Parts: sequence; structure tokens; C-alpha cells
Amino acid sequence: MTEILHIRLPLVYVASDGRHDWEPPSALEAGLLLRDTDLPALIHRASQQGPPLAVDIDTVSGLDADQVAVAFVVQRLGIEVVLTRRPQLAAGAAALGGLGLLQVLAFDSTGLLHALVSHPRQPRVGTAISPGLVLVHLLPEELGRLPRPILAYGLINTPEAARSILVRADSVVVRPQIAEQMVPAPVPAVVGYRRSATRPATS
Amino acid sequence: MSLAVAHRPPTASEFLARIARARCCAAITVDQKLDAAIASRAEVMFILRGNGLDLSSAVHRIHDAGKLVAVHLDLIAGLRADRAGVAWLARSGVDAIISSHGQLMPAIKQEGAIAIQRLLLVRQNQMHAAVAAISRSGPDIVEVLPGVILPDVIHMLPKSNVPLLAGGFIRTESEARAAVAAGAVGVTTSWPPLWDLTID
Repeated sequence: MTEILHIRLPLVYVASDGRHDWEPPSALEAGLLLRDTDLPALIHRASQQGPPLAVDIDTVSGLDADQVAVAFVVQRLGIEVVLTRRPQLAAGAAALGGLGLLQVLAFDSTGLLHALVSHPRQPRVGTAISPGLVLVHLLPEELGRLPRPILAYGLINTPEAARSILVRADSVVVRPQIAEQMVPAPVPAVVGYRRSATRPATS
Repeated sequence: MSLAVAHRPPTASEFLARIARARCCAAITVDQKLDAAIASRAEVMFILRGNGLDLSSAVHRIHDAGKLVAVHLDLIAGLRADRAGVAWLARSGVDAIISSHGQLMPAIKQEGAIAIQRLLLVRQNQMHAAVAAISRSGPDIVEVLPGVILPDVIHMLPKSNVPLLAGGFIRTESEARAAVAAGAVGVTTSWPPLWDLTID
């Protein structure tokens, strides 16, 4: 029997260093992506009630880029969604019951293909594509090569851009003021299931 | 008996003038698309991959066709992105050297080549640090990647006198025109149909 753990992946993540409180508007189902932070702030934020958390583990000072750190984040802190540039860490998060998102830098078409060679391509390991803004410019065959779920991460600076990217991505990372302009929110995705036809309000 | 005319390396302004005449530069590998690029309207070839230790033949062919060549030091095989790698490329006759390493820009200029620094757009807060680094390293040209999003992010970039190129995921005429309209002097693209595009 294959057990599928349903990890809720909100359509919107708000980038945060975890040091400041942020509550999503009631109509918006959003999470916090903790990045450019440190270990005490990460632990503090994980202990608080609030939106679901994801962490860009490569940008947390004090945490090493190894499996022990991933286990600490997933099992001790209970943060199930882990972004990383390191394929083995993304796979490690998946092995612990979390969702690993391999950060893939998309600067040109050739570089994108090279970057995807090292993708673990296994269940529970998706793709965080950076800059997220480029996603709308990918060809269908390029998009089809990206293991899902897809998180669009970086330089998404307007609600309109976020909504257009969400036609192709499962989730986007934005700043708080952009997220607050995105209500009413669409139905969140659930990892392991194709998202329903529900789409963000685009007009 | 034929009299070969020795290639004279261009100045930065001459290099930019050639791009302004044909704004879509051909992004190629040594093994692929070289013939098509030489036959196209593009005046500058950007070699992104290939054997960096065996470039002379390709460089001579491009120069013999009256065109200019830039080589990406970080991506080309066989060469390290350091001063010795820069010197090798310069002695191979390339007109411009591309790198993401800002500390190599002075060395590239010292070798008499045009210095092109890549600005990799990832996140807004990283972008400011990258732009500050570029202002310290002093390249002749900045290549912004992915160039297809330049129109969306140009307002976030500090004003600068350094000319911009846009490269990456530019595959349609409208994308090329939008990048130039946003302020790029030209685009680099591996999409051959664009190499013959005229953009005023």
C-alpha cells in the first residue's frame, strides 16, 4: 500500500524572514516561506500559530546543508515543505514525509535543461523555479519537464503577474503587499492530486 | 596569392555599434548553428558552449565573415574562469569575453577584449547586491538574464550608463522588440529566425 501524505500547498506563499508577524487576510489561504533568516528565528516562527510554513533551507544561517538539518526542519520543527538547490536534500525531505522543492534557476533554455538533469524525479519532490516570473515564457515542452508541484519563486511583483503565473504553477511566492491584493483567493492545491479547475480571479 | 587582412579587435563603442546595426546576436555553440549564424544578418556571435581550448578555427571563420565573436568563459569547456582563462581567450582572438565573475572584468579589459558581465535575475533583494557588484567591477556591457523578463523588471534596476544586453528565453519577435524597447541595446538568442530580424 502506498501511503500518500496530503501536504497542503497554498497557492500563495509570502516571503518572510520570520521575525515579523504576518496574518493573511481571511479570504486568502496563504503560507509563509521563511528565507534569508537564521536558526533562532526559524525555531521561533515554527513554534507560533499561524499560516503553514515552508523554508528555503539554503538561506538559513546556522543550518548546514545536510540531511541532519533537513530532519530537524521536517521532524522537529514540523515544517513539511523544504526548498533547496541541492537535489539530495530535496530527496531527503521527501524521504522524511515532507515535500522537497528543488530550486531550479531558469536563465536560458539550455541552462534550464542542464539544471533539470540533476532533479531527483521522484514522488514528493517538486520544482521551485527561479525567477518565477519566467514561467509564463516557457514553452509547453519545457513546462512539461518540470516535476510538479511547481512553485514560482522570485521577481513576482504584481498581483496580475502572480495570477498569470498561477495558470502554470501550483504556487507563487510574493511579498505581503502583493498577497493582500490577491483576494479573493482560489482553492489551495493538495500535493498528490491534480488541482481542480479552480483558478485565481484573473479579471 | 591572397592577402589576409588581420582582424583588429574592436573598441567597446565599435562593438556596440555592430550590435546596434543588427540587434539580435546569435547565441550558439561551436558545434551547432555556427554556419547558420555566419550566414545570418547577425553581426555578433555569442559562443556559449564548446571546447575552449580549440576555438581558433571558429574565431577565424567568424572574423573572415566580417563578424565579431564573444565567448562565455564560465560555460565553455576546458577553461577555468580565472585570469589565465581570460588570457587564453584573448589570445585566441575573441573580441569579447562574458563572465558572471565581476573580479575578471578588469583582467578582460587589460587583455584588450570587451568585458561583458552577466546579471542573473533571481530575487529582488539579491538583485540589488548584484547591481552594486557590477558598479564596482566596471564591465563594458551587462547581459541581463533571463532577458525575456527585462521589460517587467527594468524599473527595479538602478539607472546606469552601462549598456544592457538581454539574453535568455527570447524566442519571438515581440519578445526581442520588447527587450530593446525596455532599454537593451540588443538581445542574444539561440533562436535562428530572430537572427535576421531588423529592429530599429
